[in-house]
Amino acid sequence: MWVLDQPYTPRAERLFAGTPLTLLALLAAGAVAAVALVEVGVLPPRSLRVIGVAAGHGALLAAALAWTGVSSPSRIVAVVLLALAAAAAGLGPLGAFAYLLPTLWVLWLSACGRLTGLGLGTPVSPRTVVVAVLAGAGLASHLLISASRTLGVQVRVDHGSDVLAAIAYDLGANVLAAECFFRGALFNRAQRRWSFAGAATIATAAYVLRYVVDPLLPKQVELVVGAVFYLALLGAINCWLLWWSESLVPGLVSALVFFAVYRTLGA
Amino acid sequence: MISLIAAALAVVTTLVALEGAGPSSLLRHVYLLPVLAAALRFGAGGGALAAMGAVLLSAPFVLPEIERSGLTTEAVEGLVTFAVLGLVGVMSGVLRTRAGRHRRRYEILVAIQRTLADEATLDVSLARLRAALAGRLRVDEIAIVGRDDERLVIAGGDRVAEGSLVARVLESGEPAFVDDAGGSVRARRAFATPLVSGEQTVGVLAVERKGELSLAERATLQAVGAHLGLALENARLVSRQRRFASELAERVATARRELEELDRAKSAFVAIASHELRTPLTALQGFSEILAVRRLPPEEVTRLAEVMRREARRLGRIVSDLLDLSRIERGLEPALCRVPLKIEPAIEATVDIFRQGSATHLVTTECEPSLPVVDADPDALERVLTNLISNAIKYSPTGSAVHVGARALDGAVAIEVADAGRGIPADALGRVFEPYYRVPDAAGVARGTGIGLAVVKALVEAHGGTVRVESAPALGTRVTVVLPACAAAIHGRSRSVP
Repeated sequence: MWVLDQPYTPRAERLFAGTPLTLLALLAAGAVAAVALVEVGVLPPRSLRVIGVAAGHGALLAAALAWTGVSSPSRIVAVVLLALAAAAAGLGPLGAFAYLLPTLWVLWLSACGRLTGLGLGTPVSPRTVVVAVLAGAGLASHLLISASRTLGVQVRVDHGSDVLAAIAYDLGANVLAAECFFRGALFNRAQRRWSFAGAATIATAAYVLRYVVDPLLPKQVELVVGAVFYLALLGAINCWLLWWSESLVPGLVSALVFFAVYRTLGA
Repeated sequence: MISLIAAALAVVTTLVALEGAGPSSLLRHVYLLPVLAAALRFGAGGGALAAMGAVLLSAPFVLPEIERSGLTTEAVEGLVTFAVLGLVGVMSGVLRTRAGRHRRRYEILVAIQRTLADEATLDVSLARLRAALAGRLRVDEIAIVGRDDERLVIAGGDRVAEGSLVARVLESGEPAFVDDAGGSVRARRAFATPLVSGEQTVGVLAVERKGELSLAERATLQAVGAHLGLALENARLVSRQRRFASELAERVATARRELEELDRAKSAFVAIASHELRTPLTALQGFSEILAVRRLPPEEVTRLAEVMRREARRLGRIVSDLLDLSRIERGLEPALCRVPLKIEPAIEATVDIFRQGSATHLVTTECEPSLPVVDADPDALERVLTNLISNAIKYSPTGSAVHVGARALDGAVAIEVADAGRGIPADALGRVFEPYYRVPDAAGVARGTGIGLAVVKALVEAHGGTVRVESAPALGTRVTVVLPACAAAIHGRSRSVP
């Protein structure tokens, strides 16, 4: 038993210990520089999308990888792959499949056993995946019904390639980076310091904040309220899924299902 | 149960949708039933989740109304329903959780009492307590450590490592909580609380659980720890008291047996002593009457006078022994008048008396030359020797020899009286110096009061000496008396009474 056999030393590590500040500073500087260059016309406006993905999602993914002890080169590879995927996606809908690159990179790191600290590369029960699918689908269904009854939006079936591109983006950038950081890293660390409720509140609040400040989110009040409502629920559910299953996979599945359904909505 | 609650929520939602009355539908109140059921079955978490489910399901009826017409009366009714569902779910769940926690706590206390009701060692008690608490506390691992004087008794482990959480709590007497005691992804919590009795930490109750270990649960564990400490201490005291009572009863029974035996011995002694006193008295009375009423030849008068003198001496010896015994029983030492005394003449004088009085045994003496002088009461020494030689003669066959000797030891003189008699059984050797004690089959062999050796021992010890008896059945007995030599004699100077 741990309490009898192991020497106890109070924790000295801070919550944000191990954050790759240099890399984050470089990404931020790069983003600011890119915006300036776009403003003066040196770079085309679509390059903002590339730098936004690399800086935003790259920062989250790199921080998550750093917190679990992945080496600096591997983190840089992840950021570069995200930038490449974003650049490829800008070339056309099929280019979005380049988002598989960061996904494959994370899968490879998981297979090497370097992401167990995030809950990846550990055994996962099929039952937890089924529950995750049901949770994501249930929340997404509620979103569909509420949105269609409240805002009049409908399921869009005429732009399949755009939906697929969006799903690829979620798979390789949006969901992957958010779940790795907010659940695998932040919630994981927080629940070792505080209760589940406290840790889930912190991780979910940060998760919701990340989307609220996202420049791509429309600024209509009802949309922001809706986003906050559903993302808070999704964040809380995914915290519970990670805590219950001890794997990040169910959370990834739940978020992917939710965002996949969300991408089908159109005015 | 979960399926039933989910089905109930779905049915209510379907009915509300089919009714088409919007957010003010009366059927919305039926949501309270599954929410209450979930709260009563699963507690605060279940109630909150069911309430959230109900709110989510009824939201598509309320939100469009707000979007279309703003905060109308119907919309407000719908929002109030949301609040009521949330409040009912959470509050009922919290109350149910608290009630359940109290019930579990009382069950634990009862379990502790039942477990400690049987008298058992600390090891067994702690193992039983651990087994009783493991299921009720709903934890993954549990250990109970108890202090047994300097020893630690551990139920649920082999050792308490230095610097471990349990070691710290044992040392500080303060509870300690660790929110990350290992675990892969879900953190493992550990909590250790002291078992307190008065001001003392008598042990530690430690638990580990993968997942939550709430503040309320820790408070419960602390209360259980306090109760456990007190119960363990009470059990220990009860056990000690029972052991003490048992020992006391045993001692009382032994003392009673000894008193009964003493009483029997005294009764026997009174009978024997009366007989012993009566015999010389009868002789004195008879011979004195003869001398008074009859005219006898001078030789006969001399013979009768000699018999009377011997019986008078015997009577005097018995009375002296009785007086000494009386002093011994009152915790007093025999009265002595000690002077420097040479051993050899004293032995010869006593042996002479026996030689003159008894022709049945050959009494021999052998004393080392130049024996040191002892500091002794001449009368007491004579009584010691008389008792020992008398016993040797009484309990050895007619015609056998009784040997009396003395030799010098380092700063002392050893006097030995040995016979070739029947000996003393080994199991009686340890008791021959007890007052009134007689070897079981001795009564049929010779007369005696059973106080002679007790008086010998008291007299010798009053001189600062020792007395030892060695015997082999059918071979004989040897009694050795060791008396310390005079300090002056040790240094070569002596002034003695012959």
